[in-house]
Amino acid sequence: MRIVLVKRIRPLPLGGVLIPLFSIIIGVLISTVILYVIVGASPIVTLSCVASSLISPEIILTFLFLTILGVALLVAFSGSIWNIGAEGQLWLGTAAAAYVALFTSLPQAPMVAKIVMVLLAMAFGGAWAAVAGVLKAYLSIDEVPVTLIMNYIAYYIINYLVRGPWLGKETWGYIRTDMIPDQVKFTLIPGSTTITYEVLVLTILTIALTYFMLKYTSLGLRIRVLGSNPDVLKAAGVNVRVLIIVALAISGAIAGAMGAAQLAGYLHRISYPIESHTANYGYTAILVAWLSMLDIRAVPIAAYIVSALYQAGISMQIAGVSGASATYVFIGAVLLTFTVLRVFSEYSIKIVRG
Amino acid sequence: MRVTESKAYNSNFSLKTDIPVVSVRSVSKRFPGAIALDNVNFDILEGEVHALLGENGAGKSTLVKILYGIYSPDKGEIYVMGRRVRINSPKDAIKYGIVMVSQIPQIIDRLTVAENIILGLEKYGLTSRVSEVREFIKVKSKEVGIAVDPDIEVWKLSYTQKQLVEILRALLIGAKVLLLDEAITFLPLIEKRKFYKFIRNFADKGGSVVLITHKIYEAMDIADRITVLRLGRVVGTVRRDEVTPDDIRRMMFAEKSAQITYERLPTSKPREVTALEIRDLWVMGDYGVHAVKGVNLTVRAGEVVGIAGIAGNGQKELIQAVIGLRKVEKGSIRLYSEDVTNKGVTKIRSKGVGYIPDQPARFGVSLDNSIEENLAMLPVVTKRLIKWSAVRELARKLINEFNILTPSPKTPVKLLSGGNIMKVLVSRELFIAKRLLVAYNPTRALDEVTAIMVRRIIKEKAIKEGVGVLMASEDLDEIFQIADTIAVINSGKIVGSFPGDKADRDEIEKLMVM
Repeated sequence: MRIVLVKRIRPLPLGGVLIPLFSIIIGVLISTVILYVIVGASPIVTLSCVASSLISPEIILTFLFLTILGVALLVAFSGSIWNIGAEGQLWLGTAAAAYVALFTSLPQAPMVAKIVMVLLAMAFGGAWAAVAGVLKAYLSIDEVPVTLIMNYIAYYIINYLVRGPWLGKETWGYIRTDMIPDQVKFTLIPGSTTITYEVLVLTILTIALTYFMLKYTSLGLRIRVLGSNPDVLKAAGVNVRVLIIVALAISGAIAGAMGAAQLAGYLHRISYPIESHTANYGYTAILVAWLSMLDIRAVPIAAYIVSALYQAGISMQIAGVSGASATYVFIGAVLLTFTVLRVFSEYSIKIVRG
Repeated sequence: MRVTESKAYNSNFSLKTDIPVVSVRSVSKRFPGAIALDNVNFDILEGEVHALLGENGAGKSTLVKILYGIYSPDKGEIYVMGRRVRINSPKDAIKYGIVMVSQIPQIIDRLTVAENIILGLEKYGLTSRVSEVREFIKVKSKEVGIAVDPDIEVWKLSYTQKQLVEILRALLIGAKVLLLDEAITFLPLIEKRKFYKFIRNFADKGGSVVLITHKIYEAMDIADRITVLRLGRVVGTVRRDEVTPDDIRRMMFAEKSAQITYERLPTSKPREVTALEIRDLWVMGDYGVHAVKGVNLTVRAGEVVGIAGIAGNGQKELIQAVIGLRKVEKGSIRLYSEDVTNKGVTKIRSKGVGYIPDQPARFGVSLDNSIEENLAMLPVVTKRLIKWSAVRELARKLINEFNILTPSPKTPVKLLSGGNIMKVLVSRELFIAKRLLVAYNPTRALDEVTAIMVRRIIKEKAIKEGVGVLMASEDLDEIFQIADTIAVINSGKIVGSFPGDKADRDEIEKLMVM
């Protein structure tokens, strides 16, 4: 008796829902075992931390941010452009927004200031990503190392600014900028300490506009075709170089917008050094984009799952049963399970006798 | 027609009553929205060359892919030497001596011939050295009559040589049944004859060959028996010496076979306007030498200019330069008097230029995308916003007009058969070609009925709409049927130009090989 994999003609129906679902269940169970064996965390505590995180309101902000970033990466990934640089792009967005809030007179007109903050953040995030796009389009330099390295360049540029010209006046010895003016802080929705109307609107707009772009514009269609066959676009008369740069710029711009939202909606200031203050959303979002299987409708689902696991790790730490790294055990186990289970979407398993 | 004038490849083959080497029984395979194979029975005997014929989408490729373990049948059995077997992967197939060679060479360009062959040989493991295998390859290749230098890197080989290496490799891994899936269909006739010789040789020594093709003359040239498939069903299996090409046509196309003709299509009366003017064109080939050397050509509006020549004489580079995909080193290209030399594809295409490329799966369509998306991605079809209702209407129109077999306009193109993929491309480009059509082997993957339909449509566009057509083809029948002017290309130069209705076939063939 043998087990063989047979390629499916079409991916498994409902695979987009079932596979992520099973990945989480199996991944969480594996994590429970690992945490029990290594740090002796009681499976009951682990599972209850995960269960309570799934319904915890604490995860909403992370969920919203990861949704925006997941969509950002989905745009690039659809064109087989592996943007690993959302982290740098979003922080550059944060810096651009901080500049508007702290060093211009715009905050006197709060509505205008908020819009300019987001737009400038998008411009910076987009331009930052476009650098990798230009290198890829004209010099065939792989975008993966370029976008990754540029994350660190972004960190250090902001570190320099925060330690130097942007250092705040009332910081009580901390190295950080001043608080942004109250009138440009996003408006909290009643009953929440983290969620703002503006971030909600931004999330919905991001999903809606990107969905529209991918489905109803020639640009979106060409980005999707780029992912499977760039040669055919050349022969069709599409400027593939420009297309690569635009795809990366859009991806970076959305990440930049999230950077502005993080500043105005939650952080309100930038603290030195970035690398130890960042929540690493830019990297975690790669997982979100993958879990969505590049289907924009699945991005919020994936973001919800990842943010719940993120929170579960923090709860475990608070409960004193493990370190914060439990988060990465969860996320790692789920991603690994997902990678394996994805095979079933493309292949069916048959048992052969004789 | 050049059907079976060559008796040199006939064998003394006679039906033996032995058990078939491979026997397919009641095999069915269903794809979403379509039945690919319906209750198919098919026997391969020892020492025979068995052609599997059928129009585009008849199920030929599906059947051999089942034999080679790429697809698994929904129903039915396969027997090897009378014993029931299950073939779940190419590895299983090879174990039973069944080896497939497809139309696209699967060998790796960066490696040498010997290195490529070692990859497939079980008896040489990971630790064996290339030098040990070289002798083996040399001896074996002489034995089967394929002369090839084992140390040459594959990228230096021509398409014909690559296919020879593929077949050599198949024989070295112990093939008893060779499945040639359109493996020689795309070779020039002269090169094809080389293959015939050793297909026959291999069969005489007791091997079996299944030749999958949509070209009737190929089957009539070499096969002992012919099985015809239509819409997934076996129409019949016949001995080659009992039938005429017309019998086979009727089996393949039923009542549609009446549409097949090789008579010249009406000659058009070109307009006074010059659609395309190429002056002293020099274009570089892939290996740093000029592939096009000072070509002059004029295509008037409404005229079909056919470039005749053997593959690899600069046609590909010439066509790519005209469409803007390859840099012009020297000389000029004018489109309706406007200089478009090195202006790029986008600019040239936007002037109403259709393009049917040589490698349709790479430059013609995106296989992962649907027919609709393959239309909408073109800048001449959609500007910024896509109006899907309009695109769908266009897709439906092309599907009907060209009889494209597809479950729906939303089906990914990769699920269609090779011929139907070609139809998607050809129909789209004919739609786009408002002023000029540039094509290379536009009907190569198409069955006769569709090929003739495409030629008629091209001609009609020229005559009625005044579209200029520049078409290179390795199929002389095609050139003679459609071209108003025949230009012969040899080693990158135009070596002769003749009016299509008065051209002498012998003279042109001489110029092609000169």
